Amino acid sequence: MNERVAVVGYKQTKHTFDSPVARERMIYELVKSLFKDLGITRDDIDTFIFASNDFTDGRTISEVYTVPRIGSFMKDETKVEADGLSAALYAYMRILSGLYETALVIGFSMAGSEFRVPLTQAYSLDPVYERPRGIINYYSTSALQASAYMKKYKFTEEDLARLTVKNLQNANNNPYAARKEPTASVEDVLNSKPLYLPIRQAHVSAYADGACAVILSSKKAAKKFTDKPVWIDGVGHFMDTYYIGDRDLLAMEHLSAAAKKAYKMAGIKNPKKEIDLAELHTNFASEEPVFAEAMGLFKPGSGKDVVKNGESGIDGAMPVNPSGGPIGANPINATGLIRLAEASEQLRKEAGKNKVKGAKTAVVHAQDGPGAQLNTVFVVRR
Amino acid sequence: MTQETRIIENTWDLTAYQWKIESDALDLYVKGLKDKKILGRKCHKCGTVYVPGPTYCRKCFIDIDKVVEVAQEGVLDAFTVNIADVKGNLIEHPYITCTVKLDGTHSFLMGILEGWTDWRSVKEGMRIKVVWKDVTQGALADLSHFQLI
Repeated sequence: MNERVAVVGYKQTKHTFDSPVARERMIYELVKSLFKDLGITRDDIDTFIFASNDFTDGRTISEVYTVPRIGSFMKDETKVEADGLSAALYAYMRILSGLYETALVIGFSMAGSEFRVPLTQAYSLDPVYERPRGIINYYSTSALQASAYMKKYKFTEEDLARLTVKNLQNANNNPYAARKEPTASVEDVLNSKPLYLPIRQAHVSAYADGACAVILSSKKAAKKFTDKPVWIDGVGHFMDTYYIGDRDLLAMEHLSAAAKKAYKMAGIKNPKKEIDLAELHTNFASEEPVFAEAMGLFKPGSGKDVVKNGESGIDGAMPVNPSGGPIGANPINATGLIRLAEASEQLRKEAGKNKVKGAKTAVVHAQDGPGAQLNTVFVVRR
Repeated sequence: MTQETRIIENTWDLTAYQWKIESDALDLYVKGLKDKKILGRKCHKCGTVYVPGPTYCRKCFIDIDKVVEVAQEGVLDAFTVNIADVKGNLIEHPYITCTVKLDGTHSFLMGILEGWTDWRSVKEGMRIKVVWKDVTQGALADLSHFQLI
């Protein structure tokens, strides 16, 4: 048995809306350069774990073409059919078991150029009540949630626009982000194309081509990779019902439960005080206050004040998505893993322009399924 | 309590996707076929010769760019006699599908084996040679079949 697991290496591509190379070349180059940075070879990795999805990849057994491209030819290789942070959780458990000392986790997507995201996501909806009638999709599910939050807590369209601009500005300072809108104003967001009101085009995350690779290791093996390990001290992973009608989209009880479990494991009693920053997997800007409050980072319903007082900005009391979050790049399946990489970069004080001063503890979140059906939470420390 | 089931019709439109395919290995291979040559790539580190040849070595995990022309003769590795089609119907003229290893390569090529009358006389390890279509056009079908020597 291993006692503690660390993030010992990570790298993401510069995400784009139209990758000049195929996914096979993209992930091969990424992993090869990560190995080079760390001075290791593929023989230093005990198990390789993909995060990919047959629906968003448009083919079954979606990792089958890519296995040798991450160095896992004739090695222990497996796949998680969910976001990359779920794959990282799998890697974490494999290392805890003591059967493996090191794991490489990779997520990738061609969501920017190869398919229309809402169209393909629709195939993963409930096939009896939801899919055949075509009355609901990932966008409209989140719009229902946004609408509920805004009405209950008097969170206005302008508040939502300010929050969007905050993230766009952070994304603008993130060298990996695909979406760069340095001059975007609150007015621009308020006037952007309406899709599923209150959701407008500007609120939608930047579905992109890109990949992220993270290496996890046992405490014993960590020294070989880095002298700056980032420890995974708490994890939570909760799923709500598949059928959207059985869920309370606003309460997000499963996310609360996942966060509480991770905090308890990490010995965190007061997340507002003990956590220095949060990286959240939001597919739409409107999800940010809902998720952050469910995770105990802000008082329930305080979204309006948080935006007004800049509490979630880089210099605020609880910076949320200092990287810009998925509004800057959302290569599906890699997105949660990118949150882990971004948080690790912050804790290692390597974050560049978006640095959160004195950050020692971060919370990382990822979701999968319509309206965040599945939520994964990690607490990481340096 | 009833145990009835019913069918719900749904579709999965695969034309909603457009995949970018890395074409280095395929392009080199079919370019060779047009000239009635078998081209592959060789890893400068471990010496593995891949046909068709990708631009990286999956064992050494490095880029490789050395193009090699390989022999048009080799060894019959394994074969199966096709008695039925995919629907299970018996076919009128059974034929042999085989894997062969051309001399000096580490990959297998798959194709149709000809040059036999009784399949019971076909044995693994027999020598074979490549037979081309009369007119080649830079397509996988340019390589017609493998012939027992």
